[in-house]
Amino acid sequence: MIKKLGLVILSLTLLIGGCAEQKLLEKIGLITLAGYDLNEDGKVVTTAVIRQVDPEFQSMVTTSSAVNDSSLGALTEINRKTTKKLMQGQMRITLFGETLATEGIGSFLNTLSKNSSTSSGILLAMTAGNAKELLEYPYKNINDVGQEIYKLIEQNVDAELVTSSTLHEVSQDYYSVGRDMIIPIIERKEEVIEVTGVALFNKDKLVGQLPAKDSFYLLLIRGKFKSGKFETTIPGDIFSSNQSDSSEPVPVVLDTISSTKKLKLTDKNVPEFELQINLNGRILELDAEMDFDNPVEIEKLEKAINQSLTEELKSILDYCQEINSDVFGLGKQYRSQVRNSKLTHESWHAKYPTAKVNIKINFKILRSGVFE
Amino acid sequence: MKNVIHVKPQQMINAFLVFFVVHTTQIGVGIHGFQRIIYQESKQDAWFSVLVIGIVSHVIVIVMIKTLEMYDSHDLYGINREVFGTWIGNFINVIYFFYCSVAFFSVLINYIEVIQTWIFPLLSTWFISATLLLLVIYTFLGGLRVIVGVSFFSFMLAFWLIFVLVFPLQYSDPQSLFPILESKFIDILKGAKAMTFTIIGFEILYIIFPFVKDKKNIRKPVHYGLLVTTLMYLAVILVSLTYFSGEQLSKTIWATLSLFSIVQFPFLERFEFLAVCFWMLIILPNLCLYVWAAHRGLTGMINISAKKFIWLFSCIVLLLTFFIKSRIQINSINNIFGQVAFYIVFIYPLFLYVLALVKKKLTS
Amino acid sequence: MSNKFFKNMFKKKESKQQAQSDSSSLKNKSINNHSHDKKLISPDKAKFISLIEKESNNPSDLKTKFITEDYTLFYIENLVDSRVLNKHILPVVLKNPNSSPSELKFQLQIPEANMTENLELAILELFSGAALIHKNGYPTVLLAKINTRESRSLSAPENESQVIGSQVGFNESLSTNESLVRRYIRTPDLYIKKLTVGKISNTTVSILYLKSIASEEMVQTLQQRITDLKIDALLDSSFLAEMIDDNSLSPFPQMLLTERPDRFCDGLLNGKLGILVDGSSMAVICPHSFIEFFQSREDQNLRWPIASFLRLLRFSAVFLSIFLTPLYVAALTFHYEVIPQSLLVPLSESRALVPFPPIIEALLLELIIELLREAGARLPTKVGQTIGIVGGIVIGTAAVQAGITSNILIIIVALSALASFTTPSYMMGNVIRAIRFPIIILAGFWGFYGIMLGFCFLLIHLIKQSSLGTPYTAPFYPPRWVDWRDSIIRLPLPLTNLRPTSSRAKKRKKYEEEPIDPEKS
Repeated sequence: MIKKLGLVILSLTLLIGGCAEQKLLEKIGLITLAGYDLNEDGKVVTTAVIRQVDPEFQSMVTTSSAVNDSSLGALTEINRKTTKKLMQGQMRITLFGETLATEGIGSFLNTLSKNSSTSSGILLAMTAGNAKELLEYPYKNINDVGQEIYKLIEQNVDAELVTSSTLHEVSQDYYSVGRDMIIPIIERKEEVIEVTGVALFNKDKLVGQLPAKDSFYLLLIRGKFKSGKFETTIPGDIFSSNQSDSSEPVPVVLDTISSTKKLKLTDKNVPEFELQINLNGRILELDAEMDFDNPVEIEKLEKAINQSLTEELKSILDYCQEINSDVFGLGKQYRSQVRNSKLTHESWHAKYPTAKVNIKINFKILRSGVFE
Repeated sequence: MKNVIHVKPQQMINAFLVFFVVHTTQIGVGIHGFQRIIYQESKQDAWFSVLVIGIVSHVIVIVMIKTLEMYDSHDLYGINREVFGTWIGNFINVIYFFYCSVAFFSVLINYIEVIQTWIFPLLSTWFISATLLLLVIYTFLGGLRVIVGVSFFSFMLAFWLIFVLVFPLQYSDPQSLFPILESKFIDILKGAKAMTFTIIGFEILYIIFPFVKDKKNIRKPVHYGLLVTTLMYLAVILVSLTYFSGEQLSKTIWATLSLFSIVQFPFLERFEFLAVCFWMLIILPNLCLYVWAAHRGLTGMINISAKKFIWLFSCIVLLLTFFIKSRIQINSINNIFGQVAFYIVFIYPLFLYVLALVKKKLTS
Repeated sequence: MSNKFFKNMFKKKESKQQAQSDSSSLKNKSINNHSHDKKLISPDKAKFISLIEKESNNPSDLKTKFITEDYTLFYIENLVDSRVLNKHILPVVLKNPNSSPSELKFQLQIPEANMTENLELAILELFSGAALIHKNGYPTVLLAKINTRESRSLSAPENESQVIGSQVGFNESLSTNESLVRRYIRTPDLYIKKLTVGKISNTTVSILYLKSIASEEMVQTLQQRITDLKIDALLDSSFLAEMIDDNSLSPFPQMLLTERPDRFCDGLLNGKLGILVDGSSMAVICPHSFIEFFQSREDQNLRWPIASFLRLLRFSAVFLSIFLTPLYVAALTFHYEVIPQSLLVPLSESRALVPFPPIIEALLLELIIELLREAGARLPTKVGQTIGIVGGIVIGTAAVQAGITSNILIIIVALSALASFTTPSYMMGNVIRAIRFPIIILAGFWGFYGIMLGFCFLLIHLIKQSSLGTPYTAPFYPPRWVDWRDSIIRLPLPLTNLRPTSSRAKKRKKYEEEPIDPEKS
């Protein structure tokens, strides 16, 4: 009997003594998005989009901001203004203002990675201008700005229009030697939010930007690209049977079906790389008359596409070397091919601006649609 | 031969079950974060370290079985007494008893720490350890058959977790593995030694051997068990090395759990929350087998009933968990234990084998 | 039930292994004739009448009839078949008034007639429906067994219905049930051992097994356990099954109760032992492993891929039933992080109006479902259906509108209740429903950690159990790989040719000549 009593007492103490802290879904405010800016005093302005459940409004989304030295400190500030305890576990997006990005976002990446309640799958993005302004604008058609931005970026990533910028992938680049991180830029255009470009970093500081359409080339070289649409222009004079004015450049929309990328270090002293890209795809739109049954014509077209792609790629590469941001991962290739290179961020970025890349692009047209 | 253990046929286990015993004792809390420890030594060649320690463990097991076969139905405690005499033998047995107890304790506190860091920061240590200890007591009182049963189901029900690695594989970059064999050989060996804490567990063979029904067939399951463990660690380290970039990996304390963090199902996100709790099933055989091994050692020296032993043992462990609180303490326990375990698990069997051989030669 | 009783049961279990065959059969006999203080039949007529009246407490339905001067007939009214009595016994006795009882025995045209000197046995038989014929001057009595037993006709099994297969169930008559089994298995190999259990009720219990297949040792153990029972009355086989279980404290039944003769015979053919209890329409099959509770007899009647699919469905239903509601409670109470974006809004909106924490909400709703089920089981069939509709629609929608539960939880609870009804064994289905409650509580207190605690505890508990000395978790642990072919899946017949290892059958192969040898393949 004493033993039984002991067991009962034991289980009762366990029940009473060991209650875990509750995080009831309806009793907490969920931060779905956090935006960070830097104000004139060098302090961090944190803006949070909070979703909370309320019996009267069912669910509501509010935006609130605070100024503090640290990002988590600011959250405590915001918590003073809300009726419910704020939790970060459902955070999907973190935005950085342009000024903050220029100053460096390394410490934010570190804090986010440290926190066990935030997922390593949250998406990062940069706002053109201030994040606070973008978030607090009273949009007519957007109910939940956090969800809107999340869906916007997610959709663009799925369609391979911008690089995936999950916290994990970004910090993978941040902590690696020989590849710099890129994150998409979003901007408010009147009543809508759209992805306008790609931010290029050197270590954790913003050093340059590229327009959204160029992110195709970044994707291509970073090796994440599988298939997707892109647009380029080719000189119009290649079409022999063309009646139209031949000197005008012709836009062409292409859809890649499969692609392979090969990056090789050919000379480690310069350093010199060879980049070979093979693309298979189909033509979606071509604003010119052309005979798709003629192999010579096709070859001509392919050649023109290759050349224009190479040129555009070259110009992007030059720009990146100019701002000293190795978003292509040339350094990574260098490190993996040169034994005992002891490569550091600094030593690589001293070599990078003078690196030479020989680009070879081979585009093959497989199909041209159902109608000639 | 007073040290021969007489086991009733009902308490015996089939040889192939040793596969599960060996494998589940090896896999435990170590797998949560062993990547960063090896990475610090052998960088992107860390997977060679895993391979090396895996091969070494096979060699040690061969020696262990050879020693055990010399003494037909003895466990390590009996062999120690046979080889060294009762006094010195018992002294070594006490050390081994404490080794098993500390192994138990270290698995427990490491798991508690993971629970507290990832899920319940405020849940008290004593509560987690008390509930886990109750499970261990319940299993332990069922005898070896139940303990082996738990380790069997632990393997069967947790094996699918390895396939979850497919998710992080999508984000991984094989380039990080190159250039292969850049690290110095000595660094790779150092990395292998750092693996000790993670790979130990197969020494349970020393204790469980007399309980195996068909002792002749024991080699195959033991080696398969080791092989599966090594392959599993290899898979985890390869995925980790490619998924994380160098500095990132060295900053990630529980890399395996962070790997799970990226896993998303349409009905479930943040897979690591589930995985951390599910890990209870994986550490349960660890705990049970170590406490069982400790008990085997103690019964050889003093007369204590299993019931009394397990309650006393649990109370002491529960009290000790009160004193261990910070990450630094746990880390230092892991480090010291890893050092000691290296000598006990990897060096001592060789030493014992040689001595046993010499003794056999002299007496015959 | 007192603690003492259980302790005796456990002690009994330990001794069972060593129990020897002769000792048990001796004990068996001792119930019928207590050799030490045996009361004998008095040869004197008047003395005998008074003895009978004294021993039987002279109930009002005891009839005493003086056939001739020497012959006296005793019987209990309504227990004997009066037609047989008038047609086959009385005329015979009247025709041969001078023959001795032993001579008379051969002249009676009835199936069974015995002689006895034992008064207690005579009384016992009297109350089982025998007519006692006593002749003055003889110390023996003739027992003419002409009992009638009113029993309902055979009907379809109500609790274990299946779509394909025979539609006949056991009824309450032991002889009918035995004959049903005999009709399925027509072989002299089928052994029926009779025992009597219960000091007051004197219930007949039959152990059935196939002599050439079933393990002797197991038969001994079972017989020992039944004869060791010291209970007053045995009214149903389920009570017997609980008494002779390996661990009566466990919520999990360790022996199968079935009302289907085909399922019963299937067990016998697999080398298991069957128990039939007089007056009970449920038969007991043992040993029975945990997984076999989720196998239906129907699985054998379906094509193997379909049968495997159904088994997988049923088995996943068990997990669903136990863990779905706890997972909901855990996720909403502690782990909001794991909820996917797309589910977050509907979940939180449905929870917005609910005033209780998820654990109370879930327990309340589970309780309602259980109440509905229980009410449905107690009420007559026609009313029961109405209760289902009232409960399902009225309470369900009203609860959501009143804002005391969220509609998502209603779906979850209904789903897990539905899943629990797929278990082919009623007893096991009840257990599955019941163990959900502690796990919900664990989940409400410690989230996923609590669920895992419950899961591990259940797992260890199952490993610890045994059924008639064979492992309860068979064939999974200890692993019998060949038997896995007929576990949560069912492979084609040539591959499932072996009887389960756990029944320790003497013959392992079901068909002697089979196209594929599963041991080799």
